[in-house]
Amino acid sequence: MANRRILWAAAVACCLAWSARAAEPAAPTSPPKPENPPASSPPPKPESPPPSSPPPTPAAPDELPYVYTNWKHFTVADGLPNDHIFAVKADGNKVWVGTENGLALIDKRQGKVVRSWQEKDGLPFQAVTAIEVDKKTGDVWLGLFGGGLARYSGGRFDHFNQFNSGLVNDVVYGIAMQGDNVWAATTAGCSRYNTVTGEWKIFNEKNAPMEEIWNYGVAYDGKDKMYLAVWGSGCLEFDLKKDAEKRGDPWKVYLDPDGEMEIDLYRDDGIVHVIITGVSPVNEVLWISSYFGCCRYDGRHWRGIYAHETGLPSDFTNNVKARSENECWFAHDKGLGVFADFPTETVVTYTRDPNTLRGKAEVFRNGKVLKTVDMERAVPHSFIINIDHDGSDTWVATGKGLGWAIGDGYYAGLKKDPDWMKGAVKISDPVPSSETAPAPAPAKQ
Amino acid sequence: MRCSICVFLTALVVISCVFAAEPAEKPEAGAAASQSEASVAKPEPPADAHTKTVVDKINSLNPYQAPDLPLREDPRYAETDSELLPFRHVEPFKRHFLKQMEYTGPGRSIPEPTDVKTVRIGFLGPIYPTVSAATGGRSHEESIGRQMLHGCELAIEQANAAGGYTARKIPFELAVSNDNGLWGSSGEEIIKMAYKKGCWALLGSIDGANSHIAIRVGLKCEIPMMNSGDTDPTFIETNIPWVFRCIGDDRQQCYLLADYFYRKLNFSRVGVVRASNRYGRFGIREMRDASRRLGKPIPVEMAYSLGTTDFSLQLDRLQEAKAEAVVHWGDAADSAALLKQMRARGMNQPFFGGDRTLLKEFTDEAGDAAEGVICVSPWNPQRQDPKLDAFRKAFQEKFQEEPDTYGAHAYDGMNLLIWGIQNAGLNRAKIRDVLAYRTDPWPGVTGDISFSAALDDVGEVFLAKREKGQWNYYSRKDLGLEVKSTPVAASSSPEK
Repeated sequence: MANRRILWAAAVACCLAWSARAAEPAAPTSPPKPENPPASSPPPKPESPPPSSPPPTPAAPDELPYVYTNWKHFTVADGLPNDHIFAVKADGNKVWVGTENGLALIDKRQGKVVRSWQEKDGLPFQAVTAIEVDKKTGDVWLGLFGGGLARYSGGRFDHFNQFNSGLVNDVVYGIAMQGDNVWAATTAGCSRYNTVTGEWKIFNEKNAPMEEIWNYGVAYDGKDKMYLAVWGSGCLEFDLKKDAEKRGDPWKVYLDPDGEMEIDLYRDDGIVHVIITGVSPVNEVLWISSYFGCCRYDGRHWRGIYAHETGLPSDFTNNVKARSENECWFAHDKGLGVFADFPTETVVTYTRDPNTLRGKAEVFRNGKVLKTVDMERAVPHSFIINIDHDGSDTWVATGKGLGWAIGDGYYAGLKKDPDWMKGAVKISDPVPSSETAPAPAPAKQ
Repeated sequence: MRCSICVFLTALVVISCVFAAEPAEKPEAGAAASQSEASVAKPEPPADAHTKTVVDKINSLNPYQAPDLPLREDPRYAETDSELLPFRHVEPFKRHFLKQMEYTGPGRSIPEPTDVKTVRIGFLGPIYPTVSAATGGRSHEESIGRQMLHGCELAIEQANAAGGYTARKIPFELAVSNDNGLWGSSGEEIIKMAYKKGCWALLGSIDGANSHIAIRVGLKCEIPMMNSGDTDPTFIETNIPWVFRCIGDDRQQCYLLADYFYRKLNFSRVGVVRASNRYGRFGIREMRDASRRLGKPIPVEMAYSLGTTDFSLQLDRLQEAKAEAVVHWGDAADSAALLKQMRARGMNQPFFGGDRTLLKEFTDEAGDAAEGVICVSPWNPQRQDPKLDAFRKAFQEKFQEEPDTYGAHAYDGMNLLIWGIQNAGLNRAKIRDVLAYRTDPWPGVTGDISFSAALDDVGEVFLAKREKGQWNYYSRKDLGLEVKSTPVAASSSPEK
């Protein structure tokens, strides 16, 4: 009965929301032209804005996502060379950690840092901003922030930079492995290195649709596409098949349709902003992060994802890592945000209470709090920089330490009365609606 | 001679009065003994009541806390006139840059080191000629880069004459890097300054591309960056809480120019010629948008490659389009060449330029043709201000040249950084905080510098007109063009 009521309420709410949107005057046709009508022209006719993504699927309040309640922290005290963690990469039982001043290796079985390297130990540059592992060879590739690229192989570091290789720039933000190729997103374009043939190729404004060349992230979809997150040039898709077959233009560009820096005209009309910080493709779905919000694209619908209507901690997003087409993790400056179940718009956030230093998780649905979970620890710090999934576990790089979220009993989607609620956590329900503040209203900023 | 002494004494009296009105910001006694000008231009000593509150707050935090200080909120971005808003007939789903950005990381907890012998501040700018990726040839911004460097050197010298970093009595030191032209090199220079040279804050740069690269690196390294020379509007539209700009940008300048064209002069066909680089491309963009939004779209916009000396093609197109006026956005020498070729053809349309047209290079090369030219300016160098007079005198004495826009703004930007360090101590996050949470305008030699929520200078900009061999400056008020606007955020329809 309760479920029916919720379904009905949701349906009515959707209808009301839709009619309110449809009644808005003066919306241009979809997609909006990047122009204003001149001042002297009459206001445009009332038209509907571009269609929103499909409304969320209703879910019962007791259907909950998995919440990580078992966390382990690593800091300098545990052997890390530095607490400012830029990158983390899990590879079986090995977990590689890139910091502002050194590289570290954690052995998962032992649960501890087993080795670390700084410049004095042969690491070519102190700041490690990206890490990838070549599954075929076991080589570890490191993106060095100002130091180029390094390969750790057989206990030795090989150094690639813009003076001794085809690396386009030494400021490396992201790396991706694609077969035998290492892709490096740099501040002045993207380089691709074939580890077998030794061939380098550079992608920049001369051969790619980069209005700006400031590459921030690169990701491989595991099949036939590479994605570049480009600051000022949106998200670029590179079709490897087309490129190999020399058939047509291999590039596809995803830009913010309104073309304006200071606004997002419509939430669901494309990427939310042209300044992109990360992209994570999975199962034909793209998850994208920016300093202005995030978004998801399923090949048909775009969905803008903002903090004020989802419960995510912030719009300022340093990075993104998807686990599936329905689950994606966002590295925000005010906490870890997990879109845990996209169809029902269920979100979990993890923060560290700055006063008690205890961990806190909150479960949101459609922007409203469902559960608050108090636990001994969650993320080491709420300033989140990078994320890597490791089976059911997840590793979280923060401004002060590395977090290991241990996913015993993890499940995707939602579940009634899940086991995590029975652990050593204190769960509180939201205050009854009559006593709460109004539902989070979309903020205009 | 007697006259000069009188002027100087009068200036000192006026400045003394200014400082007396702000008791919390009095210079320390005896600090100015070594240099006559140091007393007027030295950095603000700690600390006014508001800054003290900010400092107390940020010093009380643990590594997991962010200060609960009020964040600046602007009713509309960049004080944009209602008629110039993009898609103004539609309430956008979201507006950015209306609330001040925060830094929420743990940087405030990094203790101040005890072993530093100097307080290094980085400088990034085009100061040595090199090959430029933008031109494919020789770089072209050294003259303005050197002005910028001189402004910084003067500010550092005066700060040291006034006692240096007062908490430790150690001098400030400028760590200088060249960023010329090569995209990406600026990023590496910032990294060196942040990680290897131990800089506490940075000032730079001019070229839009280099500045953009630098701020992304600054964000990752977590180091405050002051920009005093890049007027590209998109520079600040990046949501980076570590970046400040102390010069009015091309958005503000284009808004004024558009108002002047269409509301004052009633032009309807303004032609544009611009450099094919970031300064030209982004500088003119707001002009183009503003023209369209006011119902007077630009009939022709011609770009040219840097190094072009023959503007026949551009002038042909301007004539075909029957342009009533011509705007040029590019370097000073290009402005002069274009203008002279226009006049040689008998094209007598009014000529307008971006702020680089104000550089001496333009008037030197344009000669008599410069008469009547109007260009935008981020400040008014004719302003009657003893601080400005003292700065100009000290600059001339030290460098044997007149300070220009870039020298003056760099001087203000460096003094802001020095003020931030004096108040916050040697901690980058705290230096950022005292600057970001500053509420009063900075009383610079270029005028009052007020930061918007996006930490951008939204102070007044001007039009400069070449009249009888000199530039005269006009404010919006002088031109009768005060902004008529209603706050957007307060008047729009409810959010969807």
